[in-house]
Amino acid sequence: MKEYFNLQIKLIGRKFREIGLHPILAIILLMVALIALSIYAYKKTEFAPYILSFLALSFIMKLSEVKRNEFLKTIFKSNEHIKIRIIENLILTIPFLIILLFFYSYFEASLLLLISIIFAIKSMKSDYKFTIPTPYFKKPFEFTIGFRKTFYLIPLAYILTVISISVNNFNLGIFSFLLVFVVYFSYYFKPEEEYFVWSFDANPKSFLLYKIKTALMQSTYFVLPIALTLSYFYLSEILLVLLFLIIGYTFLIFFIVAKYSTYPDEIGIVQGIILALSIFFPPILLMIIPLLFNQSQKRLNYLLQ
Amino acid sequence: MIEIKDLTKKYGDKIVLKNINLQFNKGKVYGIVGENGAGKTTLFRCISGLEKYDGEIKSELNPLKNYIGLLLTNPYFFTRITGREYLQLLCNARKIKIEDFEKQNIFNLPLNQYASTYSTGMKKKLAITAILLQKNKVFILDEPYNGVDIQSNLIITELILELKKLNKTLIISSHIFSTLNDTCDEIHLLEKGELIKTVQKEDFKKLEEEMKTTAIGNKVKKMNLK
Repeated sequence: MKEYFNLQIKLIGRKFREIGLHPILAIILLMVALIALSIYAYKKTEFAPYILSFLALSFIMKLSEVKRNEFLKTIFKSNEHIKIRIIENLILTIPFLIILLFFYSYFEASLLLLISIIFAIKSMKSDYKFTIPTPYFKKPFEFTIGFRKTFYLIPLAYILTVISISVNNFNLGIFSFLLVFVVYFSYYFKPEEEYFVWSFDANPKSFLLYKIKTALMQSTYFVLPIALTLSYFYLSEILLVLLFLIIGYTFLIFFIVAKYSTYPDEIGIVQGIILALSIFFPPILLMIIPLLFNQSQKRLNYLLQ
Repeated sequence: MIEIKDLTKKYGDKIVLKNINLQFNKGKVYGIVGENGAGKTTLFRCISGLEKYDGEIKSELNPLKNYIGLLLTNPYFFTRITGREYLQLLCNARKIKIEDFEKQNIFNLPLNQYASTYSTGMKKKLAITAILLQKNKVFILDEPYNGVDIQSNLIITELILELKKLNKTLIISSHIFSTLNDTCDEIHLLEKGELIKTVQKEDFKKLEEEMKTTAIGNKVKKMNLK
């Protein structure tokens, strides 16, 4: 068991080094980011404990993947396997639990602890072969797959929009709006296999424009109803809604060109820094996007001549 | 036609392909054989433009990669993408418009199911269907028979022969010699990255015998099985 965790530490270390960060520095940065996000969330919304719990659960779900667990079951005795799974889930959950307890969210903390243990013991395997329907089936793949992975977040955003209107909290409405965009951004975090770029009958420029056009079109499906609802109920803030809509679309374009600017490698620390700067000062994107677009063309050249 | 001149591929200091000279014509089926690691897949990746190389690959099809249907040994499938969406993705990539995939679903695949849940053989059949729908002019098939059931093997052989009739160029690798015997016009033997022999159809039997002798030798006896 000890060897297993040593190996996991090695693997995590390698992942951080691949993106150019020393593992200890990366962990410190992650902790700082988590604390900053928690403080911000608790200041801004009463839904902070749910946001944090959701975040923790999304990591736990990753560890509970069926194939991963079946592999662990084949190599460890059943009691050892369960012990490993519980320890893994607890290691991930503890930072979130500490924050929840610090902000007196005792109920959410207990629920999170309970769920993380249940996920360690119970297999997620299901014989029920259900295909989640998606409105994005005509133009796979980013939104098709992404929607299926994160479909539960879309109704959550819509519920937040409704709550924002019922309690007359415009900021919460904007938060729900941005939540949908953040979900969309996550569809572009990982580079796809070269085969799926190579297959395109297009040069790098038209390939990138096709990807951007598709993303803008497909993102509109769920973003527009929220934008229209907010504009209708907060008519005086319509310009602000429009501004956030433009910012959302611009960031979406940023994520696409950032992804291909490092292709076939994953988005690196440089793009992370640019993103951080852009969040504080979005107009910088108007300069950054053309640069990354050019960089992407160069990176795609070897596959799309 | 595809003409390969002095193709060399290195990974660092390691030479994977050395001075390969080959010609692939329309309406012909070519077999590439060799042991694991002989360089077959690397050769396919070079022709497809997935690898950089030294030397020259010429074709009247420009750019060649847009006319190639490439079947990889282990085709990759995203999780949570259905068979139908996979076909749609690859057709969109080549600007091919198809409304009803069911008509051309000759392997009777469950197209509404996630492709990642398919068996090895079903995945291969889905990938084959996709490159057929793309209406390519050149087909590079790396182990098309791997993991596929007997019935589908027969269909694949028929498909290859039909594509040949349609004047397409086909380049195939297979570990099952009989399948090459049934389909190929010419077989090229690769060994440690070098092209050591080209054999015409009439000499396939001889090549098979030679390969058996070299491959088996007295290796089994050495194991001293009891």
